[in-house]
Amino acid sequence: MKKTRITLIVLFTLCALALIIFSLSVKDSLPGLLDRMDAEQTATQDDKMLKARDRVLESIREGDRSKILRNLERYTSGWADRLDLNGEIGLELFFFRNGPSLTALGLFLLAAAVAMALSVLDRKGRFRKAAPPLMLIAAVYTGVYILENVVGSDSMLMTVLEKGAIFALIAVSMNLLNGFTGLFSLGQAGFMLIGAYTYAIFTIETGTRPQVYQYYAGGLVQFTLPALVSIGLAGLAAAFFAFLIGLPVLRLKSDYLAIATLGFAEIIRAVFQYDGLGPITNGSNLLRKFATYDTVLFPFVIAGVCIALIALIINSTYGRSFKAIRDDEIAAEAMGINLFRHKQMAFVISSFFAGIGGALLAMYQTTVQAAAFTSAMTYEILLIVVIGGMGSVTGSVIASFLFVAASEWWLRFLDNEQMIGSFQVPLLRSGFRMVVFSVVIMAVVLFYRKGIMGDRELSIKRLTSRLSLRKGGLKNG
Amino acid sequence: MAEHVLELKHITMQFGGVVAVDDLSMHIDQGEIVALIGPNGAGKTTAFNCVTGVYTPTSGQVLYHGRLIVSNRPEGRMKTLYAGSQKDHPAEVVVNTPDRITKLGLARTFQNIRLFKTQTVFENVLIATHLHRTSNLLTATLRLNWREEREMREEVLNLLEVVGLKDARDELATSLPYGKQRRLEIARALATRPKLLLLDEPAAGMNPQETDSLALFIKQIKDRFALTVFLIEHHMDLVMDISDRIYVIDFGRLIAHGAPHEVQDDPDVINAYLGVDEE
Ligand SMILES: Nc1ncnc2c1ncn2[C@@H]1O[C@H](COP(=O)(O)OP(=O)(O)OP(=O)(O)O)[C@@H](O)[C@H]1O
Ligand SMILES: [Mg+2]
Repeated sequence: MKKTRITLIVLFTLCALALIIFSLSVKDSLPGLLDRMDAEQTATQDDKMLKARDRVLESIREGDRSKILRNLERYTSGWADRLDLNGEIGLELFFFRNGPSLTALGLFLLAAAVAMALSVLDRKGRFRKAAPPLMLIAAVYTGVYILENVVGSDSMLMTVLEKGAIFALIAVSMNLLNGFTGLFSLGQAGFMLIGAYTYAIFTIETGTRPQVYQYYAGGLVQFTLPALVSIGLAGLAAAFFAFLIGLPVLRLKSDYLAIATLGFAEIIRAVFQYDGLGPITNGSNLLRKFATYDTVLFPFVIAGVCIALIALIINSTYGRSFKAIRDDEIAAEAMGINLFRHKQMAFVISSFFAGIGGALLAMYQTTVQAAAFTSAMTYEILLIVVIGGMGSVTGSVIASFLFVAASEWWLRFLDNEQMIGSFQVPLLRSGFRMVVFSVVIMAVVLFYRKGIMGDRELSIKRLTSRLSLRKGGLKNG
Repeated sequence: MAEHVLELKHITMQFGGVVAVDDLSMHIDQGEIVALIGPNGAGKTTAFNCVTGVYTPTSGQVLYHGRLIVSNRPEGRMKTLYAGSQKDHPAEVVVNTPDRITKLGLARTFQNIRLFKTQTVFENVLIATHLHRTSNLLTATLRLNWREEREMREEVLNLLEVVGLKDARDELATSLPYGKQRRLEIARALATRPKLLLLDEPAAGMNPQETDSLALFIKQIKDRFALTVFLIEHHMDLVMDISDRIYVIDFGRLIAHGAPHEVQDDPDVINAYLGVDEE
């Protein structure tokens, strides 16, 4: 057992080092590679090829990696009949093309080897327990990074991943309130709106403000804040509104919160479109030209950190009190838990992260308009929470990726008319996707009453033990 | 005169037209086990709820170690509706929520068990240590309070050992048998580090053996944690066995009080329990 593990560690380390060293060493080797390709040529180069070669060299000088890759692609495809690209040169080209991905893969393998080595040395077993989930997370992030490099950030897969990560954060923030504290709130879209607007207003480039606020003389705000600061402000602004709403409403015993938050979301949507606030909110016009991100990793990292924070809160003494309030208010109060304080805390925290989710959504969309933040958006998120399982963080995360993928991607084909031969497939037309989608959702809610995860969390231990059980069963049978 | 641990002064609790507790005055001294008994619907639980802040009494006062923790008089509509027999009302109005009263050192259990259903035995007790935290949201989230957290967990394990539930600590609270759930509720109340423990029918649903061991158990924890105990109970054997003094109420009104043997032979008490009253 131990022997195999040590062998694995050594193997991983060697692979990792090889990957890292090799992918880094070919980083600046393209000009030399081009020369070697010249030397190997079997026919003389024509003008067209020479021009393509020059274009590659020029883009190297410019330093724009995506441009280099594009020109290189064009050049090598022109060479295909004259040069054997399966040999050493081909390998080097492959490493050059996928350099960053391979470096990332190497780093991940190295981390895995270190984690395994630590697990072997770790006597107390505390690290051994934490290592698998941490490695799983690292694997997901490495995978996303590599995928983005391979399929490009404009692909449908990346779009789904981006939106899925953002919705995951918002769903988890809603779950904190509805699933973990037992407070039914329907204001998520409102808090997202506040977050999105706060972020957008503070990050529009000063120079482009006259263009964006063209009907309002360039707007009132005449400075620009860094993106991360604005994201923080987006959360704080949403939290502040939650604080105000909570003051009267959270003292009431029953479900007034749902009505109050729903009303708030509707009102805030109207207020932000109000012409009188135009110098700040741009009235009913779009906000645009604010700072966005250029890699999918950005929303992944921000959402990941926020979800991790929420999970830490849930498992802290405060989170335990939230769950106590959900289970039995009277008993919780009798145990010295101040109901109002703790409900307020949960509400404000939940809204804070919904605000950050709103900011990320603004970045994803690259434009913001208040009219889009309808209560339908809240219901969509509520649906994700229910499908994932009230009271399960991992459930919300998984459900949000599935939900986004199904609604944006997997069911897309249902919206297009299709012909098989001369036979037109019935029902397939624009709008049919939403019908099927609703049916699927209904089926999920019917057959998984408590959502995919119930109130449990995804755990690697449980998964592996179930898998090995199944294997054992097969052997016996 | 040493001040009482708990003192009820002319407590009246009226729901609409129903006077559930009528002019109840009583006191409990340091280290005593005092029982409140009476037929079904006599108003015992309501009296408890007035002390622990679940209800604000219509009229009357509660003092804890001489400190006024509850005080009220009929106001508004209640002024005309008021039907209690006590016509003199206190001038002050003092209202405390249950959590604040628990923080003062009064902890209770519930007649119809109220455990945190989705939580394990261990977590149920752990939640009750929350009120002693010195951490805030930030330090608790970032686990800067790990030392306090570890102490809390150790304290909870100790408590579970005392009540004999250490082996069941990872089970779901509601999966325990009835008797053990009652013990768990007591452990949870103890985790708030009370000075006065209020038990609402701790033996309800227990079989005779369990009831016997409960009597011993209550005496043990009383000594171990230097508690004063205020108890509502229907099992007469248990009450007679462990109480230092007994108060008897019927239809919300105090009809007798004294040492167990005095109360046992009181004709009013026998009438109330046998229903010989003209009512
Ligand atoms: N919240 C309430 N609203 C209206 N009436 C109430 C309320 N709580 C209690 N009562 C009434 O007050 C009276 C006393 O009830 P209480 O629960 O205090 O009795 P008890 O002595 O604890 O009885 P048991 O032995 O059955 O537990 C009953 O008639 C009950 O219906
Ligand atoms: Mg009762």
